[in-house]
Amino acid sequence: MAAIPLETKPVKFNPGLLAWMALIGLLLLVGLVSAIQVFWKGLVITNMSNTVPWGLWITIDLSSIALGAGAFTLSAIVYLLGLKNFKPIIRLAVFVGFIGYSTALLTLVMDIGRPDRFWHPWVYWNIHSVLWEITWCITIYLTIMLLEFLPVVTELKFFDRWPWVRQAANWLHNAAPALALLGLLISLLHQSSLGATYGILKSRPIWFKPSMPILFILSAVAVGPALTMAVAIVIEWITGKRTIAPDILQIIARFSGFGLLVYGYLRFWDVMATTYYGRTPSVVEGFTLLRESTPYNFSFWVLEILLGVVVPAIFFLVPYFNRRPPFLVLGAMMATFGVIVNRWNVTVSGLTVPLSYSPGTLYTSPVGSYFPSLTEWGVALGVIGYALLMLTLGVLFLPLFSKKEEHA
Amino acid sequence: MSKKKTRVTVELTRRDVLSLVGVATGSAVAAVVLTSGPLSPFAGLQREQVTAGQESAGHGATGVNHWGMVINLDSCIGCEYCLRACSAVNDVRTDKPWNIVVPEETTNGRPFYFSRPCLHCQVAPCVEVCPVKATSVRPDGLVVMDYDRCIGCRYCEVACPYDARKFNWETNTEVNPYIPTWGIAEEPRRPRGVVEKCTFCIHRIDAGLKNGLLPGVDPEATPACVNICPVNARTFGDLKDPESNVSVLIADNPTIVLREELGTRPSVYYIPPKEGL
Repeated sequence: MAAIPLETKPVKFNPGLLAWMALIGLLLLVGLVSAIQVFWKGLVITNMSNTVPWGLWITIDLSSIALGAGAFTLSAIVYLLGLKNFKPIIRLAVFVGFIGYSTALLTLVMDIGRPDRFWHPWVYWNIHSVLWEITWCITIYLTIMLLEFLPVVTELKFFDRWPWVRQAANWLHNAAPALALLGLLISLLHQSSLGATYGILKSRPIWFKPSMPILFILSAVAVGPALTMAVAIVIEWITGKRTIAPDILQIIARFSGFGLLVYGYLRFWDVMATTYYGRTPSVVEGFTLLRESTPYNFSFWVLEILLGVVVPAIFFLVPYFNRRPPFLVLGAMMATFGVIVNRWNVTVSGLTVPLSYSPGTLYTSPVGSYFPSLTEWGVALGVIGYALLMLTLGVLFLPLFSKKEEHA
Repeated sequence: MSKKKTRVTVELTRRDVLSLVGVATGSAVAAVVLTSGPLSPFAGLQREQVTAGQESAGHGATGVNHWGMVINLDSCIGCEYCLRACSAVNDVRTDKPWNIVVPEETTNGRPFYFSRPCLHCQVAPCVEVCPVKATSVRPDGLVVMDYDRCIGCRYCEVACPYDARKFNWETNTEVNPYIPTWGIAEEPRRPRGVVEKCTFCIHRIDAGLKNGLLPGVDPEATPACVNICPVNARTFGDLKDPESNVSVLIADNPTIVLREELGTRPSVYYIPPKEGL
């Protein structure tokens, strides 16, 4: 009942917005053309092969789910730790999370060989498969986020004519804490098992390690909230309206900074344990191959660690930078890029290293080499266009920063 | 006074009792489910122990038969007949054969030839990771594919330690150069978008058994690669039958399985070259 706020804000289509929409339209068009190609001709038009059967699209899946982690992290902060001052950002966090997860699903449908059978994991269960668990978790979590977010959508003026919709939404709104907790459990599960997807494969020397699920969830928890924070700041810049109190955003940045430090520390020990103290011949061979034939060393140390972890942590934690929103946005961008590079490195590097199973000394399976094809990039641009479109529509039409939440 | 005291100590409402009972029952059920159900962290361990109990016989299959193969690396001459017959009979694309033959070298630098079908592991990594159970281990030890269920996620291909699985990136429209010289297609081509692999010529085994033939003995019921081998480097048969060709070979010769340390329990045994590996 109290949920009928809504000062109506007519959307003004200024030239800037039109240009922005044109850009999004272009991205979507490129994506659509590429998608039709993929469905028509099959995955043969990608540069994936039997040696490297996963590539750019899996990287997008993993990254967009990790970057959607702001939803569950911030929900946990509000509903589990009871820090109510963070409540104003929950809506935006859930919205960004929803965009991340739906982006992943969209890309996944492109990536599987039989998109017409996308529903098989729901019907044919193999509970021993982490991928089955991930599919279920993502499905459930996407539903939860949808339910969490529906009340926001029903605040639109459009729903004035159906009061019962609002009533149902209000009821749903009261269930938000319970939904958030359930979502938290589900998120903890699948954010880690995305890493386990690689970590459990005992035949793959540089993947097979128990740290994989932990590194995945830690990087997601650290960077997800930072992205939500950056989105809030950018929206504020563009709309010129103060949305969320600056001190809240600074605390989120600090949280992400500490998260990155914890992640960096574990990553450091992961590298030390697997490649130095407890190295095995196959791991050493794998990394030697990567160092000599791919830019792995540069992309790991410089892009992933220095620019993706260390510099953002400095921006988020040192007061001089923490006070200045541009640095926070820059830091979040770099950390986001770091996560994407990490997911790429994990996927492609692990597949580049050949399998050695022959009893002799010469033969290994072929060394992988992969760079995405034009169509793969096209689909990637398309899903980025989808994410930006959703975000823009949300900012234009949805009450993402309703005052109501602050008093609730 | 004393009366009041007792009343204070026994402040259990019906609601409390009910919720206590509820929690207790719930925990008990959870405990039972977690320790005995398929979710149990020990389920895998128990299975491992069961199979270890059968170690003396060397098989993990639960059925009456366990179809397996012995490949003699000492006699293989690298002629690739097995590859060609396989590719013809199963109508496999030439650029990703199910059965590979490669030149190899021992640690002493002595050359030999190594060939590899699908190893039909009893603890198969590909079966464990498939999100839709499109691939499974049959009771007779064969690792089979359900092409109608596979969604083409390629996780099995990534998980297989032996590089035995291949994905159909496109519809196979090529003219098979091995037909009819090396055999005729006995199986339909697999559709685009699913993963495929060596089947041990399952169609021959199943049809053969139905007609009273014995796989490994009667050629009609035996994998094409085994039949065509000019030097009898490949032997097929029932690992559970101590009298079968394969069991006798395993008993009389030193044998290895590929990457035994992974615990995949393959159904393909290799006799190493005489000089050692």
